[in-house]
Amino acid sequence: MPDSLLTILKLCFLALLYLFFLRVLRAVWAEMSPRATAPTPAAPVASPARGWGGANRGGGNAKTAGGRLRVIEPAETKGQTYDLGEELTVGRAGGCQITLDDTYVSQLHARVFRRDGQLFVEDLGSTNGTYLNRKKVTAPIAIRKGDRLQIGKTVMEMQ
Amino acid sequence: MNTVVGALRRNTELGLMLMAGILTAGAYTLAGLGRSASLPANLVPFLLVILGLLAVAHVATRRLAPSADGILLPLAGLLNGVGYVFIARLDSDLAALQALWTALGVGAFVATLALVRRARDIERLRYTFALIGIGLLLMPLLPGIGQNINGARLWVRIGSVTFQPGELAKIALAVFFASYLVEKQPLLAMGTRKVIGVWLPNVRHIGPIILAWAFSLIVMFFEKDLGSSLLFFALFITMLWVATARNFYLGIGLFMFAAGALIAWSTFAHVKTRISILTDPWSVANGAGYQTVQALFAFAAGGLTGTNIGQGNPQRIPAVSTDFIFAAIGEELGLLGTAAVLMAFLLMVGAGLRIAMRVEPPFEKLLAAGLTAIIGLQTFIILGGVTRLIPLTGITLPFVSYGGSSLISNYILLALLLRISADDHARVQAQAQVMA
Repeated sequence: MPDSLLTILKLCFLALLYLFFLRVLRAVWAEMSPRATAPTPAAPVASPARGWGGANRGGGNAKTAGGRLRVIEPAETKGQTYDLGEELTVGRAGGCQITLDDTYVSQLHARVFRRDGQLFVEDLGSTNGTYLNRKKVTAPIAIRKGDRLQIGKTVMEMQ
Repeated sequence: MNTVVGALRRNTELGLMLMAGILTAGAYTLAGLGRSASLPANLVPFLLVILGLLAVAHVATRRLAPSADGILLPLAGLLNGVGYVFIARLDSDLAALQALWTALGVGAFVATLALVRRARDIERLRYTFALIGIGLLLMPLLPGIGQNINGARLWVRIGSVTFQPGELAKIALAVFFASYLVEKQPLLAMGTRKVIGVWLPNVRHIGPIILAWAFSLIVMFFEKDLGSSLLFFALFITMLWVATARNFYLGIGLFMFAAGALIAWSTFAHVKTRISILTDPWSVANGAGYQTVQALFAFAAGGLTGTNIGQGNPQRIPAVSTDFIFAAIGEELGLLGTAAVLMAFLLMVGAGLRIAMRVEPPFEKLLAAGLTAIIGLQTFIILGGVTRLIPLTGITLPFVSYGGSSLISNYILLALLLRISADDHARVQAQAQVMA
């Protein structure tokens, strides 16, 4: 068999090899793009970090005008809810609106406040950080319905 | 649970597996044409066996973990298949054995999926896994069954069967580390005293790191296995870092690694040799550096697209079908072939990390990260050694190198990753149903 033919076959093989990777990448892409994956639109809890909550974000402002934080973890305080007014502080100190008895929580840990009808959460220089949808809060960031706020061992969901 | 996403993933997997099978058969044909200018006589049965093995793995996933990630298995199958073709081209005796190991590996894959129905079931067995891991790791040191092969004592012979227990030990230890670190995470992540601006955890909690370090030093001193020693320590530090999210541990790990490396360098002649081969292989090109230099020649001879499978001379590289198989691929499929192998590992690591990021229960999360780290670290350690990026330490290239212990344990690792991925999907589904 002439070498040139072998070379052509070899190049075909390599091309097919890269076609394989292209298909793998396409499969990964299809999974990563939100519309293909969301099993139901009601899954923001499952993966809030990736913003699947898009569906219930747009018109959420009117509904969140009242706004409540509901504790979902730990089990001891599960189900407890806190109504959000204009401003609310979270911490270990007794003067906070939400007092959490947890060594991972700083005395004055974080605050949730309203600006132009939109709720924001801000970390107040806590030791262990405040997490919104498992991302560390470094600057005031908007909090919306379905978002999860973690402070120490406590996880609260915005409702 | 059969779901839309699960069905999608399995169909993706089926398509990719078919392609992996065709690619393997194509490589096999090329090898036959390259060597004897004729189609291999056993091409059809070969293709059937390959497709059969891939089909068994795929059907098992369909039955036992229907919603698991769909790209890990085809990538492993492709690496395994291409590796097999190169082994067959280098040494037909080893090829027959490698076929057997592949079959056993797929068997172990199915058995793992069948036995471990939920990843959290193995969390409770942490100390059993710790014992198994340590026992396996130290087994080669036992007189009578331990074997010295190529100057390293990492083999065990029982009857007529020899195997490398360290390959299985890495999985057992990853399971143990994951469950241990999940339990101790709050203690390890918290600082108790501030020293030079860094919150240090209590000395008591650093104990395990020192233990892991001492342990990997033992492996290095008595088994002379630098690669495994590095893998275990790096695995532990990686998992500790993932569990606590504190860079402090990476720093201390790096420092302890440097200390260990210095001890090894000053104590062992062979470590010194490895370093001198790294810095200057050419002065010892016919002696200690022969293997490395030949591998470099192989990469150079391969150029961009290689000499074609069967038309190069990779046989002259010592240990070419195990540690140095990447050099054979470099010679006969060139830069494009080696880049493809790297890409396959990259995609596997990416898929593993995606599973780890998506999973919520901490044990599963950490275990997925640890198992992925094993694949990534092991690939880096051996490929870095072969390409003269880091000192060479003998360890197998997952799924590609010849070796029963390695192949079987990597398939078990893969099954665990798929199990975690399927668990996660089931949980998401359940939550979605509750909410709806």
